[in-house]
Amino acid sequence: MNNYLTVASIIFCIGALGVITRKNLIVVFMSLELMFNAANLGFVAASNYLNLISGDIFVIFIIVVAAAEAAIALGIAIAFYREKGTLDIDRANELKN
Amino acid sequence: MHNMPSIYGMNFLEKSMLGIIPETVIIIFAFFVLFLAFFEKLAKRNNSYYLSLIGIVFSILYVLMLAGRNISGFYGSFVFNGFDAFLFIAILFSGLFTVLMSKDYIENSGMPAPEYYSLILFGLSAMMFLVSSNNLIMVFLSLEFMSICAYILTGYIKDNTRSTEAALKYFVLGAFASAFLLFGSVFIYASTGRLNLYGIHSFLQNVSYLGVAGSGGSIGIKVYISAGLILFLIGLAFKMSLFPFHSWTPDAYDGAPTPVTNFMATGIKLAAFAIFLRIYSLIYDFNVMNFNDILWLLAVFSMTFGNIAALLSTNIKRLLAYSSIAQAGYILTGIIGGGFYGYSGTLFYLLSYIFMTAGAFSVVIIFENSNLISLDIKKYSGIGYKYPFIAASMSFFLLSFAGIPITSGFMGKFYVFSSAVKSGYNWLVIIALLNSAFAAFYYIKIIVKMYMPDKEPAAASSNSSVQGNIPEIAGGAIDEGIMITIIICLILTLFMGIFPQIFINFANNSAGFLWRI
Repeated sequence: MNNYLTVASIIFCIGALGVITRKNLIVVFMSLELMFNAANLGFVAASNYLNLISGDIFVIFIIVVAAAEAAIALGIAIAFYREKGTLDIDRANELKN
Repeated sequence: MHNMPSIYGMNFLEKSMLGIIPETVIIIFAFFVLFLAFFEKLAKRNNSYYLSLIGIVFSILYVLMLAGRNISGFYGSFVFNGFDAFLFIAILFSGLFTVLMSKDYIENSGMPAPEYYSLILFGLSAMMFLVSSNNLIMVFLSLEFMSICAYILTGYIKDNTRSTEAALKYFVLGAFASAFLLFGSVFIYASTGRLNLYGIHSFLQNVSYLGVAGSGGSIGIKVYISAGLILFLIGLAFKMSLFPFHSWTPDAYDGAPTPVTNFMATGIKLAAFAIFLRIYSLIYDFNVMNFNDILWLLAVFSMTFGNIAALLSTNIKRLLAYSSIAQAGYILTGIIGGGFYGYSGTLFYLLSYIFMTAGAFSVVIIFENSNLISLDIKKYSGIGYKYPFIAASMSFFLLSFAGIPITSGFMGKFYVFSSAVKSGYNWLVIIALLNSAFAAFYYIKIIVKMYMPDKEPAAASSNSSVQGNIPEIAGGAIDEGIMITIIICLILTLFMGIFPQIFINFANNSAGFLWRI
């Protein structure tokens, strides 16, 4: 199980780095999905190792929630693109002190 | 599952449903409000506003009916006890204030009302589910449900670039935080094999009883659990807007419609603190790792950063956002203080925080101009003479934030800090007291602005142009919903400051349930 969790942690870190460093909104959303899926991998591995079903159930819920989040994300991305004409995250700079 | 186990004459489902009646009522009303959108005539009038108010009041009545019961439903996924009853009432009040102050704002923004109110109601039900959830799946699901409602509400003003930008920032960082919380749950699940919070509690009890430190592979259970809890804490700290994870707070609070800002500042923060309190009280006894040291740092940095940033900001909504970061630091002091008195002080502070914040934001709404850009503090100068009652209540709320005696903020700080001193965190309390003295400076700055307008424009121009500088109230008259909110908040802030004993008794009762499994 340790190996699976290590892989999941690596994927999670890649996703987190992607969210922090990428400038394109869609790539940021993809990185967020990567983070969620790293958690899925961890749950499936742990659930299999422990011979329990609860982790698998959690994974199904996570997939549903990730789909709902993707819907909101794309809605926000479209609204942002309509206003700015770009998906560059650095253009979100109107709210300042 | 043909033979449901029968408990006290009720079958399993009935008993389970009893615990979630308040949430169910809110959800049913949310659907009713949403259906109004189908009928043009019904949607145009304020029906959705009144219907959601009725729903919230019904839900409050149901919570009062259920108060005192101890229900655990759906195989332990939910619990309802005194702790939940207290927080349900607080959350429902926050929702009530949000709805009350939204009527004119939504009309002016030109956006459809039914969807807005139904999102608020759905968000409320999610917060209540979050507070009463007792299972990592439920914690995650209800947190996401709550957050998704908040993302949509933040970006609700469709053609407003500020609103969209706020929603974007809030969404990216909020989903980032949820992923952290989720990955924390992975580690907790992998090391304990349980998702139920009480199950995790009893697992830790057995492990610490047996003295087994490492039995889950090459890395010990302790490391796994600590990693899981830290990730979980990071996820919740985003929602509580504690220092290193606060960066979305000022932007989201500033860009969101002001009633929604109030909803985020009161309801979401309350629900996040509540679930943090529930989990923390369950794991604290086992000394998995020294969490209090981490929280100590978070609290100190939140207070200091929040206050310094608030001092430098000139926009009233950003100022309140930074001040809410600082307030989160004070609230965390009570959790660090810990024990029965620390937790009941925290609950008292949370309750008083709701009334102060709702009051302050409803005053902000009054003076907001039609393009929904929140006001510069400078424009508050001279309000004290034109609108004496509003200015006086705003001053009172700000003084309560600062923690001046006879306000609820003072009593809240008193309970929270004294519990921290009892547990030996003297330095933390010293820093917190210095911070509150420092914070009083910028709260009083606004009050001074309101009552002592700048002399220079008055000298430069005639009397009538000075009158013109004072912001006009949109529509000429103050909406009665906002007025009701201000009056309720004023009375309760004062009441909690002068007779805190009544409220601290409620808080004591509910804090006692944190350990009753």
